[in-house]
Amino acid sequence: MSGDSLPLTLPLSRFATDSCEATTLYRELRKPLLRYLVCLGLSMDEAQDIVQDAFLSLHRHLASGGSQENIRSWLFRVAHNGARNRQHSYDRRFGTPLDPGIDSISDDATPEQVVLEKERFRRLGKAICLLTESERECLLLRSGGLRYREIGEVLGIPTSTVGDTVDRAIKKLAEKCNV
Amino acid sequence: MCDFSGRIVAWMDRELPDNEAADVERHVRACAECRSRVAAYEEASRAFVAYYDVVRGARKGRRLPYWVPVLSGAATAAAVLLLMFLPASVQQIPVRVQVAEVPSAVGLQTASAPVKRVHRRHVVAPVKTRNANWALAEPAIQIAIPAEAMFPPGAVPEGVNFIADLSIGADGSVQGLRLQP
Repeated sequence: MSGDSLPLTLPLSRFATDSCEATTLYRELRKPLLRYLVCLGLSMDEAQDIVQDAFLSLHRHLASGGSQENIRSWLFRVAHNGARNRQHSYDRRFGTPLDPGIDSISDDATPEQVVLEKERFRRLGKAICLLTESERECLLLRSGGLRYREIGEVLGIPTSTVGDTVDRAIKKLAEKCNV
Repeated sequence: MCDFSGRIVAWMDRELPDNEAADVERHVRACAECRSRVAAYEEASRAFVAYYDVVRGARKGRRLPYWVPVLSGAATAAAVLLLMFLPASVQQIPVRVQVAEVPSAVGLQTASAPVKRVHRRHVVAPVKTRNANWALAEPAIQIAIPAEAMFPPGAVPEGVNFIADLSIGADGSVQGLRLQP
């Protein structure tokens, strides 16, 4: 994700300098978290707010002696719950996939390629629409590099259910997109 | 359908225990149908990620419609012009009534009409009140307000009423407001 070099605000600066591990976590997870939240339907501003809040919560959690296990899934869970808390727009945004926009196709493409690409995106968008909310969220977290156990911790579902959900979602996409 | 079809995605994601993963890997190498499934599922995963990459790119690059700043500028200019010319269109409040009539008007107030403009008067001199520490240079309005409209029940002794002295400036804005019993 380019163009999002958000400078550390004062609280996060202090947080970053307190421990190398926290700095590493911030550098490693900030972009995947932003990516996840934007894909869920939040604006970039909202996503950045939630990510900032998540890392501030992490700082308080660590400062108070909280467990340092599964920090990755902990952060994603906090971010996910932060996104869910925006209830007034959650159903509208999270219910349907985002519109990729017609300007996403390369200017060098031939007219035939443009038509084929548009058709491909249309079928893909339609297929993603047919996924359930849980399937979409599992795939988004999976594409963010989380393991099934971590995905289960973020969404509050058993690891076996995550496996079944991911399996079902991938097969649906493959079938609907005629891949 | 192949018995291993339900475990291919988990194997691709390296979520299977080592012994199970080895079994699936051996099978995929031997089964053409499962190999094509692996390719299909990989392509579906890539397409899903690519779709959201495009969506995020479109969302980031989205700018305000061209007419938004134009409309905002026009609205701001209109508001400024309106404020500049507004005082000329404000009419003076006509002179009507004497202050002395207000207390009797208060007595006629009913509970269903908490605020009622009873009288309006034009004063040149400041209103003579106990706490008149501000001068009324502009036309003033007196409004009788029942105490129960302003204070909770029982907060004000019975029979006490208030008069609000309102001073309106030349531009139509409220210059001063003073409550007096």
